[in-house]
Amino acid sequence: MADTAALDRTWDFILRAMVADGRAPHYTEIARAFGIAPDAGRQLVRDLMSAGLPCWLHPDTDLIASFPPFNNLPTQYQLVVDGARKWYAQCGLEALAACWTFPGKSVRVEAPCLDCAEPIEITVRDGRVESARPDGIRAYVALPAREWRANLPHA
Amino acid sequence: MNLFRSEEHVRRWSGFSAGSDDGILTLDQAMAVMSTPRHRDRLNGRYVSSFPSYGAPFFARLREVTGSSPYWAPPT
Repeated sequence: MADTAALDRTWDFILRAMVADGRAPHYTEIARAFGIAPDAGRQLVRDLMSAGLPCWLHPDTDLIASFPPFNNLPTQYQLVVDGARKWYAQCGLEALAACWTFPGKSVRVEAPCLDCAEPIEITVRDGRVESARPDGIRAYVALPAREWRANLPHA
Repeated sequence: MNLFRSEEHVRRWSGFSAGSDDGILTLDQAMAVMSTPRHRDRLNGRYVSSFPSYGAPFFARLREVTGSSPYWAPPT
């Protein structure tokens, strides 16, 4: 297992890359940025994903699937910042938390309601809801918190 | 963790589980839950090393927002 400082650095690199590009970097990009061998970059990613944080790889690969607040596979939670549509949120709640990775900016969450497929639109900025349509939007977590760890993608 | 147009839509959704009523949050509640250091500090450069310290304030906020519902109690 890599030391914590290396994991801090890897986390920061991945998240900043996702903010900038709307996609997760491949481990070879991490290796190149850090000046290390590709295998060492892959090991950093593996170590980070097994460190107990709510992020994970696509099954049986070394490809980053989900890295909060973002998802590297499209979800129904599209994020729009400064008119750019480069990001998807990990889940409905993380869509709200995405504002913390764009400080000072309005983040628009566009999503369909899973019940009726009609649109939901929420704009958040620095932890404040600026607008929401329709009125009465609800978040729903189908699993009790004690079961999240064992069911992360579902939670 | 999904978003719905209203509580009626949550309860009508095919994925709604009986007994999970406490899993429904208003938008303001959800924003409050997602505003602890666990979410705010992701770009602080030491997120992984700080992560163990984020659990307590996160679950304290959940207790505050949800009225200490056991549904939101942390894993033991």
